[in-house]
Amino acid sequence: MSAPLFSFTGVTGGYGATTVVRAVDGAVEAGEACCVLGRNGVGKTTLMRLLTGHLPLQAGAATFGGRSMDGLAPDERHGLGMVYCPQDRPVFDNLSVRENLTLMASADTDRYAPLLAAFPILEDRMAQSAGTLSGGERKILSFVRGAAEAGQLLLLDEPSEGVQQENVERMAAFLHEGKAAGRALLIVEQNLAFALEIADRVIVMDHGEVVLAGNAADMTEATLAAHMHV
Amino acid sequence: MDPILTTNILNVVYEVSTLAVVVLGLAVVFGLLGVMNLAHGEFVMIGAYCAFFVQTQSLPFLAAVPVALLVCIVLGLAVERILVRPLYARPFDTLLATWGLSMLLREGVEAVYGRGFKSVAVPLTDSIDVLGADYPSYRLLLAAVSIALVAGLVWWFVRSATGRRIRAVVNNRELAGSVGIPVTALARNTFIFGCCLAALAGVMLAPLLPVNPTLGLDFILKSFFVLVVGGLGSLVGLISGAGVIGGVESIVSAFLDRTYGYTTVLVIAILFLWLRPNGLFPRT
Repeated sequence: MSAPLFSFTGVTGGYGATTVVRAVDGAVEAGEACCVLGRNGVGKTTLMRLLTGHLPLQAGAATFGGRSMDGLAPDERHGLGMVYCPQDRPVFDNLSVRENLTLMASADTDRYAPLLAAFPILEDRMAQSAGTLSGGERKILSFVRGAAEAGQLLLLDEPSEGVQQENVERMAAFLHEGKAAGRALLIVEQNLAFALEIADRVIVMDHGEVVLAGNAADMTEATLAAHMHV
Repeated sequence: MDPILTTNILNVVYEVSTLAVVVLGLAVVFGLLGVMNLAHGEFVMIGAYCAFFVQTQSLPFLAAVPVALLVCIVLGLAVERILVRPLYARPFDTLLATWGLSMLLREGVEAVYGRGFKSVAVPLTDSIDVLGADYPSYRLLLAAVSIALVAGLVWWFVRSATGRRIRAVVNNRELAGSVGIPVTALARNTFIFGCCLAALAGVMLAPLLPVNPTLGLDFILKSFFVLVVGGLGSLVGLISGAGVIGGVESIVSAFLDRTYGYTTVLVIAILFLWLRPNGLFPRT
């Protein structure tokens, strides 16, 4: 069996001298989704920031497409196909919705057509500044931007936060489509039902460490919930 | 129109527009890098010395523009790499470091050219009749070039893809990196651009100033006052700040004298810091 598209071992890091995340291992194959679960403040977002190059690793390593991510800046990782939708401040508040979607590519929004059809709220607000959107709408905008990018690896940090249930279901549908197209997904979530709907593998974190990891098919919501509240 | 009034209005326009060029460089660097470059005035000074150097080589005045740009690109590149980049997100350390740099640059220029005033010949010596007032054509040209430069840059900043990306970095640096904007290179280029803008102002102003190693101090102080009054939020703030500071100084200097002009500007800056510390157009 070939090596997974994206894998990381012993990932350790935090802010300055403080270590938040300790020795976290994980892997995602193409066409597969891995969900990172855990309560608030257990280091899930820190893990994402370590993997996307926004924080330096204190120890450990990450490999994407056979390439070491060591020392690569966020924009270089993006260039290799790593797409990231952060949890906090997911869009450019001072740019319009259209500018958020066309910042790095052509001015037309054709490639967003299926996504915009599913989330018509954005189409209505194209000219509006993204800072005027509600929290959930910003998450949708961020999701649409990420889902339409060409990169093979998608890292989403709490995409469903503040988003209405019907839109969460639409997100899940697009994520299934992405998996079918060979994308690898690494998703941080608090919404268990949504996570289990798309996940093939699950990592549960507590106090910056992995407390449970395995195939999503082997886990019930009750087992996961028990591990999330230890 | 009364010729004296016309002359005064033109003086205000000249003062405000040239000041805006200097401040724009400082503000763009601060906006994108969060770095207040206290050596910004020294880049104006270096630009002025480039004009003087070109004159000593008997080259035409305009040759100073490529010389100044070249010097500032090399210098800006080195300063960004050695001094600014390692101190990102440490604003106080950056202030000290760039202040140290400003001293180094002043002393360096003094070591080469001495402390004495140098004069650069005015490239256009005639004057133009503007609504009955006899106004030096070089000053008029300078004001026009400055206005065109600022307007062109503002237009570019608002309309171009790069301008949008710069605004994106200012708003959300982390996301900007993750959508593929080469943030480090953009910051470096912006820093160099700010230095070049200062140097360009220095070249243009050289014929009208006593060129000496300390001339940058005056500019960095005035630029600060502009940012204090206008606020760091926007180009509108920057231009209105330049309008208030440049305008008031020029008007008070015309009716009383330069010392009063300077004092008034200082009082305005203190009042703003005291009563409206975020300026006319605060950053949101």
